[in-house]
Amino acid sequence: MLFSRISRIRSTGSNGCRWFLSHKPHLQFLNPPAYSYSSTHKEQNDPFSLVADELSMVANRLRLMVVTEVPKLASAAEYFFKMGVEGKRFRPTVLLLMATAMNISILEPSLRGPGDALTKELRARQQRIAEITEMIHVASLLHDDVLDDADTRRGIGSLNFVMGNKQLAVLAGDFLLSRACVALASLKNTEVVSLLAKVVEHLVTGETMQMTTTCEQRCSMEYYMQKTYYKTASLISNSCKAIALLGGQTAEVAMLAYEYGKNLGLAYQLIDDVLDFTGTSASLGKGSLSDIRHGIITAPILFAMEEFPQLREVVDRGFDDPANVDLALDYLGKSRGIQRARELAKKHANIAAEAIDSLPESNDEDVRKSRRALLDLTERVITRTK
Amino acid sequence: MLFSRISRIRSTGSNGCRWFLSHKPHLQFLNPPAYSYSSTHKVLGCRENFSWGLPALHGFRHNIHHQSSSLVEEQNDPFSLVADELSMVANRLRLMVVTEVPKLASAAEYFFKMGVEGKRFRPTVLLLMATAMNISILEPSLRGPGDALTKELRARQQRIAEITEMIHVASLLHDDVLDDADTRRGIGSLNFVMGNKLAVLAGDFLLSRACVALASLKNTEVVSLLAKVVEHLVTGETMQMTTTCEQRCSMEYYMQKTYYKTASLISNSCKAIALLGGQTAEVAMLAYEYGKNLGLAYQLIDDVLDFTGTSASLGKGSLSDIRHGIITAPILFAMEEFPQLREVVDRGFDDPANVDLALDYLGKSRGIQRARELAKKHANIAAEAIDSLPESNDEDVRKSRRALLDLTERVITRTK
Repeated sequence: MLFSRISRIRSTGSNGCRWFLSHKPHLQFLNPPAYSYSSTHKEQNDPFSLVADELSMVANRLRLMVVTEVPKLASAAEYFFKMGVEGKRFRPTVLLLMATAMNISILEPSLRGPGDALTKELRARQQRIAEITEMIHVASLLHDDVLDDADTRRGIGSLNFVMGNKQLAVLAGDFLLSRACVALASLKNTEVVSLLAKVVEHLVTGETMQMTTTCEQRCSMEYYMQKTYYKTASLISNSCKAIALLGGQTAEVAMLAYEYGKNLGLAYQLIDDVLDFTGTSASLGKGSLSDIRHGIITAPILFAMEEFPQLREVVDRGFDDPANVDLALDYLGKSRGIQRARELAKKHANIAAEAIDSLPESNDEDVRKSRRALLDLTERVITRTK
Repeated sequence: MLFSRISRIRSTGSNGCRWFLSHKPHLQFLNPPAYSYSSTHKVLGCRENFSWGLPALHGFRHNIHHQSSSLVEEQNDPFSLVADELSMVANRLRLMVVTEVPKLASAAEYFFKMGVEGKRFRPTVLLLMATAMNISILEPSLRGPGDALTKELRARQQRIAEITEMIHVASLLHDDVLDDADTRRGIGSLNFVMGNKLAVLAGDFLLSRACVALASLKNTEVVSLLAKVVEHLVTGETMQMTTTCEQRCSMEYYMQKTYYKTASLISNSCKAIALLGGQTAEVAMLAYEYGKNLGLAYQLIDDVLDFTGTSASLGKGSLSDIRHGIITAPILFAMEEFPQLREVVDRGFDDPANVDLALDYLGKSRGIQRARELAKKHANIAAEAIDSLPESNDEDVRKSRRALLDLTERVITRTK
């Protein structure tokens, strides 16, 4: 869920409503299974455990807000909860780690006193960014799934006002966006409002780009990266920047936070693209292939097209025909498409790591731990096999 | 348009729940046709010179009406006072929704094109309110450093008008998707023309641009106000879509929903105008009260006209509310007099016979009259708010305030 808004398994249900997120196994890398680490190594290196408690707080606040205020939107809310339960807490994890990495720590005993209250308040504000980010993310998923066919299936409701899934998706998305607006306003920081509002614009732009590409654009790596920035990286990069701004950081430091988020997001998406072809195996065709089946042309294919121009014709024909999918996979296998996509991901992951390394020095142990955790994430994003 | 998001004619098409926004004639009240006002009303501007009670002058008065009606109309037409600014606002709006992705750009600008901007009631109120609050850009005596400041303030207040329109259109786009509407403002609805998803995305896009524009004002209180409006719009729509029987029959619930869906936007943007103008909390509250009560009055008359249409009698209106199962003020009042009407309402209105039955009860009751009375009450409160504003000798300020008062009359007396 984190970034893989375009990597979904299409449900085979009759109404075609596709909000259901698959239990995509590759997403479980976020909760690293015990066997992959020695116990000490795990404690030291597990980015998620550093912020696990805070994450629960954030998740609970989000849950409460949606359930108690708008009971009728419960089914949409449930969808939202599923997200949390499945460990889709990558974004909030990054944000909370970033908050600490920026030299603000709530665990410093030496800061007790008036500073402590300020620190707690700042932390609360930064957690609010994490909540707002999730609200915006889910709202965009809900709205992305609004279908154009006449969806008249009736779900919940009373008497004459039964709501179909389309209504639910739109209304639930609007609800989340409006709550995000109010929460943003409450931070009383107009620059942050501007940043996150821009993100909403980017999400919409990215989705529209994906919906309305010409053949030319679909085959353009530049267009693809721009769309990927809008749909995936903008949210996390701008919220990292917002975290920094709330923490009173300089414009330069805020930019480093932004660069971390952006490059981490791009790296994540590129690997996501690869895994859609390879799955848990290193070989082709074991992945779900959902992108290509939906006609979404991702980095590996775009790279392959550079080596094999004939692949362009295959792409132009579309992928409703499974034989065409096989043909494309064939070219892909012969090309260095997969490897180049991985290389590009690694490049972005490295840029993200450099951003962390460029942060102003700190001797605070929590700050250093968080920064190590952020570096760790740039590794995991690349090496995950699912 | 303005407020009548729930007053629509249902199509008889196969799709079932289809919402057409008709060329509802009653919306043209905003450009006052000469005939809807008595000549006496027109002559108000010359009141000082003529006595009402002298029959001999009737003919004379009639002549004066014809000769000076254009002059009087100019003085009394709230819309002409801000016509130029409105054009500027409209042009800026078009620029503000430009974007690089062509499909998104067409969707976003769809309702900002020439001819389909709606009646621009809201921006008119806001611009008049800005002037009424004692800030004038036309005072020659203010030339100098003050002038630049005044212009900047005015630009910021115009920004509120733009933001308000973007938020309003964004909510219309989503409402049309929710209601499966086919037309809006006399043309195809965006969802009908470009699909549901694009309409939803365009709405989100407009909302995000509105938020960026809001943030650029660098006033966190104003940001909070308008953010609250966004929340209210969603709440109002949710209330309308998810009512229980109990709630549908509750006047309190109905007024709350009407506040959220209709009055909140204009009341809070009036308040924002005041805050940007550096007004005190009390004055800002007066602006808020004006907007709120004007909005409520408008909606109540809208409800009535849906039953009566241009005729004073029942059943000549489009009846779109009741056919969509939306229970409005007149019916709610009628239910207080005739509890049996409640059962009719609970049965729903898919069956036209039930509609006729309800109309029957409505006709026997004082439902229409009471709705009009309530509208009048709110219009009066709005007028009082203007009258309570701090005194001013500035002619533009006084003109704007008169125009705002005028609007409280027009909102009530319009017949379509």
